[in-house]
Amino acid sequence: MATGKRKFTIIPYLFILPHLVFFIIFVGYPFFNGLYISFFNYDYLRPEATTFVGLQNYLDLFRVGSVKYFEFWNSMRVTLTFVVSSVPFLILIPLGLATLLNTKVPGSNAFRAIYFAPWVLSCAVISLIWWWIFQSQGGLLNHYLGALGLPTPRWLSTMPYAMITIVIATVWWTMGYNMIIFLAAMQDIPADLYEAGRVDGANAWQRFAHITLPLLRPVMTFIVITTIIASFNLLGQPMMMTRGDPRMPNGGGATEPVMLRIFTEGFVRPFQGSAAAMSVIVAMMMMLFSFANFRIFRQHE
Amino acid sequence: MKSRLWSVFATVLVISIMLTACNTAPKPTEQTVDKPADQVAQATCGVVQLQYWNPFTGPDGPFMGQMVEAFNASHSDIQVTMTSQGEYYTQLATAAAADTLPDVAIVHADQVPTQAFRNVLRPMDALVAEMGITASDYPAGVWEAGQVAGKRYAIPLDIHPMTAFYNADLLKTAGFSAPPATGAEFEAIAAALTGNGNQGFDITGGFPVQQIFQQMLHQFGGTEFNADGTAATWNSEAGVKALQWMKDVQAKYSEPNLEVDAELNAFKTGTVGMVWNGIWQTANVTGDGVEFDGRATAVPQIGPQMAVWAGSHQLTLPVHKTVDPCKDQAAAVFIKYLVQNSVTWAKGGQIPASVSVRASAEFKAVEPQASIAPSVEYAFFPPSIPGITDAFGPLGEAVGAVMNGTTSDIQGALNDAAQRANEILAQNKATYGDAPKAP
Repeated sequence: MATGKRKFTIIPYLFILPHLVFFIIFVGYPFFNGLYISFFNYDYLRPEATTFVGLQNYLDLFRVGSVKYFEFWNSMRVTLTFVVSSVPFLILIPLGLATLLNTKVPGSNAFRAIYFAPWVLSCAVISLIWWWIFQSQGGLLNHYLGALGLPTPRWLSTMPYAMITIVIATVWWTMGYNMIIFLAAMQDIPADLYEAGRVDGANAWQRFAHITLPLLRPVMTFIVITTIIASFNLLGQPMMMTRGDPRMPNGGGATEPVMLRIFTEGFVRPFQGSAAAMSVIVAMMMMLFSFANFRIFRQHE
Repeated sequence: MKSRLWSVFATVLVISIMLTACNTAPKPTEQTVDKPADQVAQATCGVVQLQYWNPFTGPDGPFMGQMVEAFNASHSDIQVTMTSQGEYYTQLATAAAADTLPDVAIVHADQVPTQAFRNVLRPMDALVAEMGITASDYPAGVWEAGQVAGKRYAIPLDIHPMTAFYNADLLKTAGFSAPPATGAEFEAIAAALTGNGNQGFDITGGFPVQQIFQQMLHQFGGTEFNADGTAATWNSEAGVKALQWMKDVQAKYSEPNLEVDAELNAFKTGTVGMVWNGIWQTANVTGDGVEFDGRATAVPQIGPQMAVWAGSHQLTLPVHKTVDPCKDQAAAVFIKYLVQNSVTWAKGGQIPASVSVRASAEFKAVEPQASIAPSVEYAFFPPSIPGITDAFGPLGEAVGAVMNGTTSDIQGALNDAAQRANEILAQNKATYGDAPKAP
């Protein structure tokens, strides 16, 4: 498509420069500095005690039976469980809502606003709302479950309920964002395609499966990747709702996500080198997931 | 166009100069800690501005605010500005890195050694001697908690013990006129109150069960760590007895699997006879906080010896690259004032650490604090070594797991936790060494 020799122009680079400067200061430098300190025993308040330890911080995380091994991999398992159990809902429910709201029903604008509304709330607010619903002493849910004669589990302090509450709160909170993106993409699909489908006798399901879904693929890639990354970054909801409880007998908490573990390791305990090593491992896993996503979605093209 | 490019570069240059400027702050000059008063003429100081930080973001904050206001009103040459904030130790750590620490700070007793080793606090032996504050005015445990590697880093302000809260109406209905003071009385009352939709004693699977365990461990004659803080010893016979006792009372008198704070919320509905929590919950679950006769008293003695879990807020001098003797003198005056006037602080729901303040008629009029106060003589504190709070982590996990039923093997859970704590203790020893860096 390119014709002849491209002429170098400075203007496009000037446009990205402001962002690039801040990207380097706030993302680029911290990333490489994090990588750097992961090879040290490091506490920023005790520079005199900084020692180079090579790969020791990483090896400690793989030494079966050690405290760091239990704590880190327990929290990793918690985060992965959360990713696996929240991402499908965070894609299917918004997809369904977007499909419904894409039809011309009266009041669809109001519904769009209502479903999107939770997204504008902060994590602390939604966590508190759901804590009040799920808590065991006069909480809304157990009050009505009890009134109906149904079992009233301890939602916040026993498994698997503690994880379920966090998934429900998160899905309610963030589904609006994915819904809006799906909706925007659906409105870009030309109406004549559906018209043609209808003429050929395709029913609603067939039109959805053979027109809507294939044309949503680029957006789907974006949503799957951003949702997985967002779910990996789980921190505030368990911090507020369950405090990582119930505790596990061999270390860590049953709802303690890896981000909370890294924060504890780096700032509550002053082992920033080891916390940096944990972050690097998590970052590599997220990259792996994102890369796999791109591959999976590209294969279909 | 070219000139525009240059202006962008110029902007970047300015930003980077601004960023590096932060690193070239004044070089540390003379480190004059604890300069005697006579060397500092009062006249040369003028009005000294003091920054005072504490973690009192709850209902106790205003009481401390009152004390600071009263201090400012009575000291024309010192003006104290108080800042209360959450995420407290993260705030202290960032301020330490930026050399913007306050002049006086509250630090919890179990955090004093960690903060001392992390160059957040500095020793204050000479200043303490000058103030005339001595060990004889404090219970031994709380005083020793402010001592790190042979130097004094903190002066105790208060002791906040585990407290027994009870619903006097429920007790009265069941025919009991007084709260339990012994194990037998406790069992009798809890058993009598349990049933008909009521619970005799609610206990959770989260905070503060680890603290309750520590208290019961000491009551049964055990300790969390050996004397020099190199090994966890909570998996002793006393430890198993303590946790078994907690599990038994949970099974008999409590709702199962309660989450953090659920015992307090249940208590506030008036259906629970007794709960144990920190004294700071007094305003929440007694008096006007509830619609029944909610009361607070000292925890009973269940085991063969009396022991009470407690924390302590301590007054400290944070590190500064350049120490200002004027500010140190002013800080000494302020700290002494807070200690001597801690009756105001007691009204916020704490027990003054100072024996003489507790003996005063003024304090004896503050209820229920005054009747809980004798129990702080039985308070115990962890060994004064850095990172000790991390070593408690596995204990919290073991106790929480047993109380929440994720395991039923008490001895096994305590053994595992002790093993993990030993690893953390060894790690901390290797990381921190034996003494903080000389100031």
